[in-house]
Amino acid sequence: MTLEAQHRGVLPSQSLVTVRPQRNWFNQNRATVIRHVVINFFMVIILLPLAWVFMMSIKSRPDSMRGDFWPRKFDFTHYSYVFEKIDTLPINLLNSIYVTTATVFLTTFCAVLAGYALVHLRPRGGGIIVAALLVSLYFPTRVVSIISIYEIQDWLNLINSTSGLILPYVTLNLAISVLIMRSVFQLVPHELIEAAKIDGAGPWRTLWMVGLPMVRNGLVVVFIVNFVTAWGEFLLCTTLTNDQVVRTMPVVLAGAQGGLGQWSWPALAAVYVLVVTPGLVAFTFAQKLFFKGLMEGVVKG
Amino acid sequence: MADTIANRLSARRSQRTARMEGHAVALRQAMSPWWFLVPTLIFFVGYQVYPIFRVLWISFTDFQYLSDQPANWVWFDNYIAAFNDPLMWKSLWRAALFTIMFLPGTIILPLLLAILVDRVTNPRLATFYRVVLLIPAVIPSTLVFVLWKWMYNYQVGPINHVLVDILGLFTLQNAPQWLGGTPLTLPAVAIMEWWWGLGYHTIFFLAGLAAIPKDLPEAARIDGANEWQVFWHVIRPRLAPIMMILVVLRFGTAMAVIDEYLIFGGFNRASPTYTWTIFMYDQAFKLGLWRQGFAAAIGMIGAIAMMFVMVLLLRIFRPKG
Repeated sequence: MTLEAQHRGVLPSQSLVTVRPQRNWFNQNRATVIRHVVINFFMVIILLPLAWVFMMSIKSRPDSMRGDFWPRKFDFTHYSYVFEKIDTLPINLLNSIYVTTATVFLTTFCAVLAGYALVHLRPRGGGIIVAALLVSLYFPTRVVSIISIYEIQDWLNLINSTSGLILPYVTLNLAISVLIMRSVFQLVPHELIEAAKIDGAGPWRTLWMVGLPMVRNGLVVVFIVNFVTAWGEFLLCTTLTNDQVVRTMPVVLAGAQGGLGQWSWPALAAVYVLVVTPGLVAFTFAQKLFFKGLMEGVVKG
Repeated sequence: MADTIANRLSARRSQRTARMEGHAVALRQAMSPWWFLVPTLIFFVGYQVYPIFRVLWISFTDFQYLSDQPANWVWFDNYIAAFNDPLMWKSLWRAALFTIMFLPGTIILPLLLAILVDRVTNPRLATFYRVVLLIPAVIPSTLVFVLWKWMYNYQVGPINHVLVDILGLFTLQNAPQWLGGTPLTLPAVAIMEWWWGLGYHTIFFLAGLAAIPKDLPEAARIDGANEWQVFWHVIRPRLAPIMMILVVLRFGTAMAVIDEYLIFGGFNRASPTYTWTIFMYDQAFKLGLWRQGFAAAIGMIGAIAMMFVMVLLLRIFRPKG
């Protein structure tokens, strides 16, 4: 170790005498420079499609057909235009908000209770439930069960109903949410829960006052994972609903053909920016907690 | 609320004999965790466990939604019909073909990127990279598909704009038709999925790399190992568990892709996107025949085929010793 350090320390100072400092800096840091160039290449690839859509949404109509990244003439009216001219747009947006909010809260509620109970109340047969949840992650449940889910919804009279979507939506990420909550509750010391019990708190109070504050990071992950799934769900929504007014915004957007009438390309892009922004903003704010939770919950779980 | 019900129950019981009381308390203590599991179980059983067994049952009958007749048990008729249909084999092969295209890129690119990002020492830069990496992962699925539908569009899509107007590799007449069931559709979807999973998988690998003690690769370097040897002998074995989970999970998602094919491919039977999932969906909802029994059999065959390979993969990648 010390030999290595000496070796490294000696070489640059020797070369300093002979080579011009600038070149030397590059040679010394060549690996770092190449690394950052490659990383930034990937960053640009990740960001470019999003930047393209954003630019599209503020282009004038003739510019939208030209393909240049930077428009010759800006036009910011598309955002107000889509609200005036696409009559179902506010309804679709409200549908999305309604379905997503309900799904996120219901799933989080289920997952918190189940995760807490599986770790700290230790029910008999809990292992079977965990195993069943794990298996359901590997089986293509979402695809195969659609035949029967249509039947259930039909039986409950929930075909073509926005509220009806909530029930299958909750289940989409339920297994992974419970498993995430389970692994973050495992990080809460059992003695703490026992202490609250001895102090006379019932299991519900213990969960609310002692457990929940300690699993904040995991909660953020469950929130975001469920938000992302419910906000962008396609298969169930197209299968279980028929009318544009009951559908969610992304599904309507997926069916829209660009370039015709009310769906001019900049208008489409404006709707896209409106729909994609809430998730990105929420993520940016919760980013620190999200990473911690991801490390605690997903990776170790 | 459940607590008060339990209290009331035990209050009523306390009027009975003391021995009964003892039983009730024991029962209540055994049952109380289950109150917490009830909401999860309702959804999980109602919308995942029951539907799967229901589909399994349907696959053995001539069940049809629109028919008034009760379904008849037909044993393996639907399965025999499916196995005799060349489209069944073709559609399974198409799903496998997509998986073969998609899997290597979605494992190797993030691994490479993770090794690079892991060495970034500037904490601000490291955080910035991580945030950007996770951006595609928090874009909802349908919005990713819509975004790339526009990327590949031949009128305004930037990909063809670069190929035709900037690089001049193609003219407007022979510009590649990416989507809509052309031979290019599967690679196009695979590239989109790489983009989507790149950041998320990189974060996965970064978590794995963070768990490797820093002096291990350092010691190997002092012993004269080059970077490739350090990666192969020190880092790779320690990332193997994460890689195994990713390979198996992504294999599962790739074999069962359906939304992308519905949006990009349509129901043309000659399209490479007409995989077993679309075949099943077509039979169940689109054709107007509403042959749910046959569709269920297709679904079960597809699911069992891919579960079989997943178990095989788990066995292959199982850590030795």
